[in-house]
Amino acid sequence: MTVDLRKDFVNYAKSLNAASEDKNIRTAISRAVTSYRNTVTETLERFPHTPALAEEVQEIKRQSMANLDNLLETAMASVERNKGKAFYAKDHQAALDIALGIIGKGKTVVKGKSMLGEELHLREYLEDNGNEVWETDLGEFILQLRKERPMHILSPSIHVPREQVAEVFTKFFGKVVPPDIAEEVKVVKEFLREKYFTADVGISGANVVAADTGAMVIIENEGNVRLATGAPPVHIVMVGVEKLVPTFQEAMKVAEVTWRYAQYGVPGYVNIVSGPSKTGDIEKVTTYGAHGPKEFYVIFVDNGRNEMAHEEKFSQALHCLRCGGCMYECPVFQVTAGHFGHTYMGGIGAIWTAFVSGGMEKAAPLVYSCLRCGRCVERCPMSINVPAMIGELRERVIYGKLEG
Amino acid sequence: METKMPMVLDVISENIIKHGSPLALKGSEVSSWAKELDLPAKGDVLFYTGGEYQMLPFIDSLVKTITHLDQGSKVFSMMMGARNILNKTGFSPEKMYASVLAKDKDRYNSVCFKAAKVLKELGYEFCYSGNEELYSGALLYELGYLQDMEDYVKRVVEVIKKSGAKTIVCLSPHAAEVFKFVYPKMVEGFDFEIRTYVDLVWERRDKLAKLQSAESVVIHDSCRLARELGIHQELRDILVSIGADVKEAPMNREWTSCCGGPIKILFPELSHVIGERRVTELKESGSAHILTSCPYCLSALEAGRAKGDSAVVEDLIEFLYRGVKA
Repeated sequence: MTVDLRKDFVNYAKSLNAASEDKNIRTAISRAVTSYRNTVTETLERFPHTPALAEEVQEIKRQSMANLDNLLETAMASVERNKGKAFYAKDHQAALDIALGIIGKGKTVVKGKSMLGEELHLREYLEDNGNEVWETDLGEFILQLRKERPMHILSPSIHVPREQVAEVFTKFFGKVVPPDIAEEVKVVKEFLREKYFTADVGISGANVVAADTGAMVIIENEGNVRLATGAPPVHIVMVGVEKLVPTFQEAMKVAEVTWRYAQYGVPGYVNIVSGPSKTGDIEKVTTYGAHGPKEFYVIFVDNGRNEMAHEEKFSQALHCLRCGGCMYECPVFQVTAGHFGHTYMGGIGAIWTAFVSGGMEKAAPLVYSCLRCGRCVERCPMSINVPAMIGELRERVIYGKLEG
Repeated sequence: METKMPMVLDVISENIIKHGSPLALKGSEVSSWAKELDLPAKGDVLFYTGGEYQMLPFIDSLVKTITHLDQGSKVFSMMMGARNILNKTGFSPEKMYASVLAKDKDRYNSVCFKAAKVLKELGYEFCYSGNEELYSGALLYELGYLQDMEDYVKRVVEVIKKSGAKTIVCLSPHAAEVFKFVYPKMVEGFDFEIRTYVDLVWERRDKLAKLQSAESVVIHDSCRLARELGIHQELRDILVSIGADVKEAPMNREWTSCCGGPIKILFPELSHVIGERRVTELKESGSAHILTSCPYCLSALEAGRAKGDSAVVEDLIEFLYRGVKA
């Protein structure tokens, strides 16, 4: 069988060219890059221990990926011990089935931002199955209304200026929303506030998972995750198995390095959730669902990650903390944003596309648009050698090893 | 499962494998710069061009063809075939190559001549493989043709060995990169000392002619040179020693911004945009006289210079050669 990728390359080149002519992308990314570089420099000066901590985290990640099966087993047992329910989803469909099985139909779901959610097309799947789903991260909410996919992993709607936000909000809310950022933030806050307290289910991802305690660490700034995971009676965490580390202490190290390279001295909120809400205040009888969710579910998603962990040349790609630093340094991303990507973006995204989200056919054009210039490696707190992996993937594409 | 990739990849890889040059340039074309120099074929130090500077003007011609034609079309495959499909179609690559401006051809061809002259001036002795010199295969490595490269490098090594040299001096950082990091994995006993042109000049920089007046220049660090080979301070030392006023771009040394060159053959428009942005970034240094030390950076930045832009883009070799002539 022959896979003809020539048309894919032509179409992809067209989309990159169009993106590079988009003034919104150009302006937004230029602004973001300058601000990223300045803030990170300043933050690393304030917290000079960070690079050494990052090196420590590299080792934690290396060990964790080498020991993934055990960690998963431990973590699942911890979640159960905490009176939560743990699931393992081998692939994409299994993950969606488990989530739908818990949620059912006709429910209202509030969702925190999650790249895994994008990978699984979770919102669309739940909606297609008769649920009302709301993205609660402001950027994701904007994209939900615009029916677009994220253009950056941390700032998904980076390409949409306030005027266009006002336009889509005016249409959606049925009243004039001026192109004023504070006003725009306010209307969404009012709208979602009601959703949090009437929703049946809250869904979040997690930035790190400590296997020993079953603690899910979720970093955020808006406070939406806090509400989405605290107010509804059910909280579902959907998390990739690569987020597992052995201990709580190690999870804290990973979390600090993650937010530091995502340009925060410290984020607005760090949520640590390890089970359903409970109280023993009356007669020391433990009762679940005190103020927060009564039910707590964790779905550990594999979907190609384990295979990656076992590939010597690619397991390092699982160390990615999704801080987004590499994207700001990537000359291709700087002019095309998420168009240089499928679900995951940039050079590291091309690798994730090959193994986890899209497969080699989708990855091939991305793999060839990487400059292999290596500046992402300079920025990456995990020093992930993306150019080497890109080289390896090119070889696989050329010699027809498309399985990933 | 077999994959059909954009034709340009087939053409380039096949050209390298069959003709020892990504664009199937003939040995006589590639080595014409050396005619008057009478370089020996044997010696301790081998001067290695890999034909890379010489092929730059032709790459642009190839890229122009790509930009203006739909890659799926019949015409395109004819154009792309260049020498590869000459026999099948009767289409002459010379026609395509003839569109290259004579001044560009002369300029890039003379870079090797200038490099050799500068090294001679500094008292270095070296040999050159002339007509027989083969391209390093760096693009096979870059584009994923590693299995083909394993066979190809054997032929390159044969030519290198003929020279009897122990040291290879590379003009292009891409050649230096593959000789240093890839060849040893593919060829048993590949134990040549790999140097770059910049290394050699740096060692004897005190002997370079000083500039008449303190010209201000800005260095575009090549990714391969700065990040893979760790050479960036050397460029500054060389320029300072001849009295240049070295300005720095916001992103430099190991943080240098790529010129866009590596994706030129598949994504020419985007490559161009990236080159343009880098030129702008370099000019933020306060100097519009850009110096680089890599053939692809030279070509990409030259293309990224806006029409009528006052910026000057030169290879370090070209800049230093002016001192030799004076």
